[in-house]
Amino acid sequence: MICPRCAHDALDTLAHSPVPGVWDVLQCTRCLYTWRTTEPERRTRREAYPVQFRLTQEDIDNAIEVPAVPPLNAG
Amino acid sequence: MPYDDLRSFLDTLDKEGQLLRITDEVLPEPDLAAAANAAGRIGEGAPALYFDNVTGFTDARIALNVHGSWRNHALALGLPAATSVKDQVEEFARRWDAFPVAPERREDAPWRENTQEGADVDLFDVLPLFRLNDGDGGFYLDKAAVVSRDPDDPDHFGKQNVGTYRLEVIGRDRLAIQPVPVHDVALHLKAAESRDEDLPIAITLGNDPVTTIVAGMPMGYDRSEYEMAGALRGAPAPIATAPLTGFDVPWGSEVVIEGVIEGRKRQIEGPFGEFTGHYSGGRRMPVVRIDRISYRTNPVFESLYLGMPWTEVDYLVGPNTCVPLLKQLRAEFPEVQAVNAMYTHGLAVIISTKKRYGGFAKAVGMRAMTTPHGLGYVAQVILVDEDVDPFDLPQVMWAMSSKVNPKDDVVIIPNLSVLELAPAATPAGITSKMIIDATTPVSPDNRGNFSTPVRDLPETKEWIGRLTSMLAKR
Ligand SMILES: [Zn+2]
Repeated sequence: MICPRCAHDALDTLAHSPVPGVWDVLQCTRCLYTWRTTEPERRTRREAYPVQFRLTQEDIDNAIEVPAVPPLNAG
Repeated sequence: MPYDDLRSFLDTLDKEGQLLRITDEVLPEPDLAAAANAAGRIGEGAPALYFDNVTGFTDARIALNVHGSWRNHALALGLPAATSVKDQVEEFARRWDAFPVAPERREDAPWRENTQEGADVDLFDVLPLFRLNDGDGGFYLDKAAVVSRDPDDPDHFGKQNVGTYRLEVIGRDRLAIQPVPVHDVALHLKAAESRDEDLPIAITLGNDPVTTIVAGMPMGYDRSEYEMAGALRGAPAPIATAPLTGFDVPWGSEVVIEGVIEGRKRQIEGPFGEFTGHYSGGRRMPVVRIDRISYRTNPVFESLYLGMPWTEVDYLVGPNTCVPLLKQLRAEFPEVQAVNAMYTHGLAVIISTKKRYGGFAKAVGMRAMTTPHGLGYVAQVILVDEDVDPFDLPQVMWAMSSKVNPKDDVVIIPNLSVLELAPAATPAGITSKMIIDATTPVSPDNRGNFSTPVRDLPETKEWIGRLTSMLAKR
């Protein structure tokens, strides 16, 4: 399985369903996209994931900081 | 009468027929968000929604749309459910004058019943987390009250801030937070980061309904939200001391999360379907490390759906945005009659005012843009005469269509500040702002032909009452 949003192949499992075996919550280690395995395909499968929400490594690197980290106080 | 916790308010909503218990099994996605989205399309009588049968969970309890109608907003303030919007805003403004009402400290907070600490912290274990909109980057805590203190003045009770900020769950013990630069937590974070320090915070979930209202209310930097909650409740707000940070948190919260915003760190966050009706894209935002979670036994997870307006957030922050603007404008311009700042948290505002002399209404519009809230919002101001109800949009449109001479009455000021989420801003955080003066010109601004307006007949008022009571008896 790969990340639906950025196609990265390293995923973490954040949670298992309290009722065993119903769903897992997965997270992409690169873009932090988080999803439950029972969500609709448009949120869980790369092929169905909407183009306008996809992210690349470049998008992540170039994302603006909000708020910007301020300069350190002198002294 | 005032509610000390969420549960007692849910009981009242239930008794008033304003809580819908959905007992059929539903999927966490997309059902929970879709149901709350639908509630926002029902209209001003929409109920709160309560779910406790969610696929894969064994003991989920989820409350949505708790403030999501004018009836529920009235009940949150202890007013009759049928109170009109105009009357709710007026009563809100009247109670404001009792500020400050000192809070009452209590020791026996119910959230002391259960604790997770350090390596045992697991948000997924405590809360039935779920996604709202398709493009959201993850699951969000979007109805929490976040408490932080000014690192340069930590003992100042008023400078302790209680605010609502979006929080994305990015790990079992990690959140991303969006501190909008004009908001108080961003000032606290800037002070901490300038000293290369972390900023301690407490995040409280499932609060009494008035705490949620004041947490979303634009207030002066050194004014206490708890002292305002007391004024709005008509009784001291119950608070308790959070065990790890020592911060003052609501006594009645379902869950209290404590930790720090890690200094000088940013990580990818979002997108999130925002109150503007648009997604805010992925940006690098501060990160929260959770060190301790305290929670009531069987906690209720209160969340809020937002997306294309109107949704719950518009009912929640609509009236509480009108009142500070009204008070701040009236402090210098007592001619101001009413302020409707209910559109997209006050990005567009309608103000009714008397005129001191020609050009005065435009001055009121400019002042609205320079109030603390206006600096980050108030991109369009429509000024109307004192006899126009700014909450009655047909009346406002009449004023616009009949009073405005665009060349003279539309003023555009370039490159002013606005919150970065404003979709029309470019670059983000900068926008032009517009004043539309739809008031009748007065001397020495002698323009137009406004001397012979048609007035309602003298008997009309009586007939409104007769027709209203006839309809009520049908
Ligand atoms: Zn990814």
